Amino acid sequence: MAQFRLNRRSVIRGAGTIAIALPWLEIMGTSRKARAATTPANRFVTVYTPGGTVIDKWVPTGTETAPVLSPILAPLEPVKSKILVVDGLQMNSAVGEQHQAGIIAWLTGTTQANGGTGYAQGPSIDQVLTTKLSMGKKLPGGLQVAVRFATGKSHGLLSPINASNFENGGKFAPIPPRLDPQVIWTDLFGKLGTTTTGTDLVAARKKSILDFVDKKYVSLGAKLGATDKAKLDQHLTKIRELEQSISITTTTSVTCKQPTKVDTSDYNPAAGLKSTDNGSAVDSSTDGAIPKVGKFMMDMIVMALTCDITGVASLQWSDTEAKHTFPWLNLANHHHYYQHDGGFQPTQCQQIYTWYSQMHLYLIQAMAAVDMGGHTLLDESVVFFGSELSEPPTHKKLNMPFFLAGNGGGLRTGRWVKYSGLPSHNNLLVSIFNLFGDTRTKFGDSAYCTGPLANIT
Amino acid sequence: METSPGALRNVGCAANRVQLGVTAHSEREPKRRRRLVLSAALSAIVGLAGCSAEMGGNATPGTGGNAGPGSGGNGTGNSGVSTGTGGGGVSTGTGGRGVSTGTGGGGVSTGTGGGGVSTGTGGAVSACTSTPAPGRAPIRRLTHYEYNNTVKDLLADTTSPGSALPAETLSNTHAIFGNNADFQSVSSLLAEKYGTVAEDVAARATATTAALGKLHTCGSSITATTVTATEDTCARNIATSLAARAYRRPATTAELDELVALYKTVRTGRTFASGVAGMIEALLQSPDFLYRVEFGVADATKPSLKRPTGYEMATRLSYLFWGTMPDPALTTIAANGTLTTTAGVLNQAKAMLDDSAKRSHTITAYFFDSLLPINALPQLERNDDYKKVFTPAIATLMHQETQRFLEYEIFEGPGTLTNIFTAPYTFVNDALAAYYGMPAVTGSALQKVPTDTKKRIGVLTQGGFMAGSTVSNVTNPVLRGSFVVQKLMCRVIPLPTGDILAMVKPPDPYSAATGRERYALHRTMDVCNTCHQYMDPVGLTFENFDPIGQWRDTEGGETIDASGSLPGTTGTVSGPVELMQKLASADVTQTCFADHWMEYAYGRPLETADACTQQTVENTFRSSGSNVKQLLLALTQTDAFLYLSPSQ
Repeated sequence: MAQFRLNRRSVIRGAGTIAIALPWLEIMGTSRKARAATTPANRFVTVYTPGGTVIDKWVPTGTETAPVLSPILAPLEPVKSKILVVDGLQMNSAVGEQHQAGIIAWLTGTTQANGGTGYAQGPSIDQVLTTKLSMGKKLPGGLQVAVRFATGKSHGLLSPINASNFENGGKFAPIPPRLDPQVIWTDLFGKLGTTTTGTDLVAARKKSILDFVDKKYVSLGAKLGATDKAKLDQHLTKIRELEQSISITTTTSVTCKQPTKVDTSDYNPAAGLKSTDNGSAVDSSTDGAIPKVGKFMMDMIVMALTCDITGVASLQWSDTEAKHTFPWLNLANHHHYYQHDGGFQPTQCQQIYTWYSQMHLYLIQAMAAVDMGGHTLLDESVVFFGSELSEPPTHKKLNMPFFLAGNGGGLRTGRWVKYSGLPSHNNLLVSIFNLFGDTRTKFGDSAYCTGPLANIT
Repeated sequence: METSPGALRNVGCAANRVQLGVTAHSEREPKRRRRLVLSAALSAIVGLAGCSAEMGGNATPGTGGNAGPGSGGNGTGNSGVSTGTGGGGVSTGTGGRGVSTGTGGGGVSTGTGGGGVSTGTGGAVSACTSTPAPGRAPIRRLTHYEYNNTVKDLLADTTSPGSALPAETLSNTHAIFGNNADFQSVSSLLAEKYGTVAEDVAARATATTAALGKLHTCGSSITATTVTATEDTCARNIATSLAARAYRRPATTAELDELVALYKTVRTGRTFASGVAGMIEALLQSPDFLYRVEFGVADATKPSLKRPTGYEMATRLSYLFWGTMPDPALTTIAANGTLTTTAGVLNQAKAMLDDSAKRSHTITAYFFDSLLPINALPQLERNDDYKKVFTPAIATLMHQETQRFLEYEIFEGPGTLTNIFTAPYTFVNDALAAYYGMPAVTGSALQKVPTDTKKRIGVLTQGGFMAGSTVSNVTNPVLRGSFVVQKLMCRVIPLPTGDILAMVKPPDPYSAATGRERYALHRTMDVCNTCHQYMDPVGLTFENFDPIGQWRDTEGGETIDASGSLPGTTGTVSGPVELMQKLASADVTQTCFADHWMEYAYGRPLETADACTQQTVENTFRSSGSNVKQLLLALTQTDAFLYLSPSQ
């Protein structure tokens, strides 16, 4: 029975209600042989949107292989053949504060540390995958970006309300995302394609300085106790990443070029970040720029993957508080207000989630437009779209609104798979690992993990 | 101010959660009529929530027991009585430091989950032994705030370059000051940004001949025709000047050699300025600069003990009281040995606290900005009607009111925490007096003005706390009460578990006229009352203060009943003034305040090993009549501050 990837009871229980398009033995059996012939995926992108969804406007209808997209997912119709709606999972590893535990568990599958006051208790999947996908690249730790990261209440600090990526090692520390689109552009693409004289000299200079710093960490660390040394060692690891990345130069190609720089002067990436703000920061301008900034961020993610600057990227649309407004949707209150602060307002929520689908369409199409030499960037990628909860009014984490895009690792898209028995989303994380050729069978808190999901490839 | 539900702009209780330390589970105001969806099973689970145990605070052993799955009790802090084995430990302590403590006597609780240090007032068994117990002293990285201050002092760079560094890590419970060493981690982005920020700082510091001259006088005379030997000498001079200050201790010859060697490497093919900039970039990324490293020296009288060296102690004092590196005067004192004695440290601490440049005032302001929900008043979301009067200018004034009041209380006035909670005056100017409906005040400068002591006494009744603790257009007694209980009394109120959450379906808000009615269910349903009995009666006494800190007698046309009670005390209070008096005289308020300062000062949560340190500070604070300056000085007279663990 061990190799069965869907236990018999759940199949029996679910058989009456779910659409099973394949002979059921095939579902129950392993498809690993089939996958062995498939090239593993080699790009991983995660996209976080806050506040779940309006579930009855999200669940598709139709059949597994001929789904009819729901109103919220309808904008994805042009790329329907490229997505897999993973329906019916629960995120039961999200134990802790209701929003915080959700965003923490989403990519880690672990419960919130310290009884609901800390962070993750394990690494996030993207960070584990960096070892495979980003090692030796310019950004070995992946590219994490966020739009409206701190909507005024965490005051710019990384907090359990806005952390989704966690280090693979140590205490699984939360990873701060990059926030300023202009700085990201400069850091990642500023020198791309330009042939500045003396570039080698600049690199050599940087290397000399980092060599010096490296030695300081080594010599000081040697004099310290184990705990303190571990801290310096972690710092040193990151310095060595920098040392290596200096020698890596990204070369332009037909597909790899500077993304078009977008004027985001009306967007303040530090809105709400400073506790000393005197109120002169006008958030409505920043809020109004969200769609533009979001698209710019996605452009840069796509180009970072195209140029092989990194193999892993993470986009976070706001923190779990999502206390920003949506001027372009004529919604003057903030997302959390419509979710439950002002009483659950499904119409407005649906409007917001539908708009997010439009943004997801933008990303998927952009990835599908990149020719990686006979196949597209999307073909070799897996994109995981998710949230910290499913149902805004209750904070429930049943029937999570998850979907995947891309065909990396043989991901079989164009489908809507409804799992029965509310399997844990940790199982989905395992399945994602499998798409990358990582054959593990457990991830996150094993109490919430029974093995990979069936019917993914 | 009457507003229809449609016009209300409720930002909900999740707002400011971090700042308020609030862990309320319902994001919105419960409705009176709709019933919570519950089951018998739920009630059974809730029975294990452990609120009563934690809040009871009585001195009988074992009150914290209540073992059970998912109690949410978390033994993270200094709650002497911790709950359930699910999330916390089982307290076996003899002197619970609960809310009503003070009569039960001291003793060290041996709770496995919580910090478990108990310090009752009467008949205390001293937690101190003849051997100092300094606890942990993990290496601490400069916070962004400290980085900015330090770069300013080191290189006269006033651009606050540390603001370009990625977000620091906050914790829900500890590290509300953003300086908990345990949460300091280095991301790839942080390492990268330390480099780019250093590059910018170094470029500015070497941009002109004049700038180079500030690093060392020789720098201003270097020209394109200067011979190499002269340049090298000057580079060494600069290295000598910078390294000792950057490392906050004398630099060794070897350390200067390696800096000059780096200079030479970077200088090759480039300019003198570039070479110097290279040294600065390296210094700013060195662990000796970014981290506060301590090795200590053997104590002169008891060689088995280790104290921080003079330089290390100067650094401890400087970052504690000034938030920056030692200045030249302090460095001189560090070198002369006086900082390796307990008395020497105390004298220096006194001098720094009373420093004529008032550098210590910025630190107390920073402390209160972190502790109280007052540092983002201008950004609070309110509806347009409120915003018309609660303008950013008024909100900023309210912030200044509280900070000026606190500065006065600590450095000029009575100086006690008791008075901070009960002072019959505040600081307002003309505009703010008018906003509060106080008698007219002349002038735009903040001035000390008596308050109507039937309505407002002390810091919490100022508009800043009342507005800042409200996260929507309707007041939320749970949040305000939770703040007082959790942040000012250091009592942990556990979160409900996922099981409960899944069964509770919050109804629509705006369902009742007054806050008391909106939260009626919390009192009538046992499942809620288990915990809310400790929060709501506190918050309800604040209901006369509307969401923008103005006084109101009615809400929704009904007269406000502001009666309530303070957990751990007997009897009830009629309103905010009586509550403040009770809060001010509660021992737990003082120990909690002292504990926050210790966490801030030592950059980590208090632990069992800190029993003596904690007792020393709390006792000093108590016996000084809750004098805040005495508390700040006491922070430097503890095992944790004066000593280093021999194994360190």
